[in-house]
Amino acid sequence: MKTSRFKSIPWHIVFMVTIVILIFPIIFAIGMSFKPLEDAYNNTINFLPIHPTLENYLTFFDSMDVLKITSNTFIIASVVTFFKVITSFLAAYAFVFLEFKGKNTLYFLLISMIFIPFSITMIPNYLVISDLGLSDSIWGVILPQLADAVGIFLLRQSMKTIPTSLIEVARLDNLGHARIMKDIVLPLVKPAITSTGIWFFILSWNEYVWPVLILKTVDNYTLPLALQMYISSEGGTNFTVAMAVAVITMIIPLTLYLMFQKYIIGTFTSSGIK
Amino acid sequence: MHAVKATNKRMSKEQWLAYGLLIPTLLIFALFMFWPFVYTIYLSFFDWNMVKPTKEFVGFQNYIDVLSDPNTYKVFGNTFLYIVLLLIINCSIPYVFAFILDLVLKRYKNFYKGAMFLPSVISLVVGSILFTWILNPVSGPVAIILDWFGVEMPIWSKMDGWVIVVLSLITSWKVFGYNFIVLYASINGISREIIEAAKLDRVPLWKIFFHIVLPMSGATGIYVLIITIVQGLQYVFTPIKVITQGGPNYASANAIYHAYHEAFVLYRTGHSAALSILTMAIFITLLILEFKFVERGVHYEN
Repeated sequence: MKTSRFKSIPWHIVFMVTIVILIFPIIFAIGMSFKPLEDAYNNTINFLPIHPTLENYLTFFDSMDVLKITSNTFIIASVVTFFKVITSFLAAYAFVFLEFKGKNTLYFLLISMIFIPFSITMIPNYLVISDLGLSDSIWGVILPQLADAVGIFLLRQSMKTIPTSLIEVARLDNLGHARIMKDIVLPLVKPAITSTGIWFFILSWNEYVWPVLILKTVDNYTLPLALQMYISSEGGTNFTVAMAVAVITMIIPLTLYLMFQKYIIGTFTSSGIK
Repeated sequence: MHAVKATNKRMSKEQWLAYGLLIPTLLIFALFMFWPFVYTIYLSFFDWNMVKPTKEFVGFQNYIDVLSDPNTYKVFGNTFLYIVLLLIINCSIPYVFAFILDLVLKRYKNFYKGAMFLPSVISLVVGSILFTWILNPVSGPVAIILDWFGVEMPIWSKMDGWVIVVLSLITSWKVFGYNFIVLYASINGISREIIEAAKLDRVPLWKIFFHIVLPMSGATGIYVLIITIVQGLQYVFTPIKVITQGGPNYASANAIYHAYHEAFVLYRTGHSAALSILTMAIFITLLILEFKFVERGVHYEN
């Protein structure tokens, strides 16, 4: 059907301009990270590296143990994602397929935690992690994040799309919950698990607020914390190095996104709130 | 009778299984969410600095201190301003965009969705550092372009008001696409017949938006509204901490950053806890709203 009376060209322009504004910073950072400092500093308008150089990356690699910092980031993101997916899957299964006392209250209680401001929990959690001897350790960053209300929410939404009759038939066939979980539910919600997992990984990779409280020594830092050392409101003199660090910090999330874009967007379009 | 008994037995077995499956989640939540919540309330009645071996009970003194400090009002005013700005940039605009993408635009839909969402996967620390340079008032590209038109870029990081606007824009850069996608999904889920009928009847676009789309995507709308308020409180922490540290003179601090500053820079846990509890009071009001509108309004297929 033709809907040409709604003029679409001006809106295409609005969308294109918005996208340029959103994407420009990324292009800017990539371009600047390959420029020599004087070249970049004197002309910030031209972000194309005319005399490309790797010196900014090399400076970063010289100043910190980048491999260690990257592996810290990777370990935290992987362990957090792994456990969040498992704990969320088990909890979501209970909320969707099992009947128990206090089900709705408990679900509401868990979900409402999404809205608890970070400042409410920061002091006690900091003290607990210190008491456990885990301050300045990546395990101190990991421990409080092994479960997540968002994961329960997303996987519950996905499991709710499984017809209840399917589960009932399996129950009549005397299939135990372990089998139902493994052979019926798991394969059906696999796409949701994949996208939730990738999303958790990206979030954890980017996380700043909690690690900055726990991690003190540069060797234990994650990439966002290392990057933060290159910022001041005046900008500082390490402009191009900062851009190189920014590129290194965003490369993994960007690659994951470009690879799994459909999955990730799908999570929020199919299992969002209806 | 037998059947009922059998069901009861199965019910109880099922109950135990359910609690078993929930234990890992509940354990983590109890230790790092519920207990800290209670402990923060406790701390708000004590004078302490995180190192002293004893905490001194001071009753409501922390609340009195916090509420008689003019900076508190400045910070809560800032918090409110952040929230209002983010509601405009990250809730209203994405709503309109999602509506236009669904109803008006036919081509490049996937490209628009993919490109708009892209910044949402990038760390806000990266966003902060990129915009610090792009918006550098002297040598940044935006300042240079403005200069061509004879407009002088304000030294935003040192100016009241401007600093909040810029930090809100940086935060918006990251969350705009996420909110856009969530809202698009909801609008896209509205029954086509109603919208097509309205189109055939030549109902103007703005009327379709306000009379059909807005009410029918209302649950998601409120969800995004609340998420935006959470972001207004929570997400702006990163650019504040990284770029301005709350300065100049508390002009960019919000409630969460202020609580952090009191606890981890000034070591006044009592003040910090009292501030957090006050912030929480605002939040509980929002949670009640969420429960009233979102959960009740949500219509599940099953």
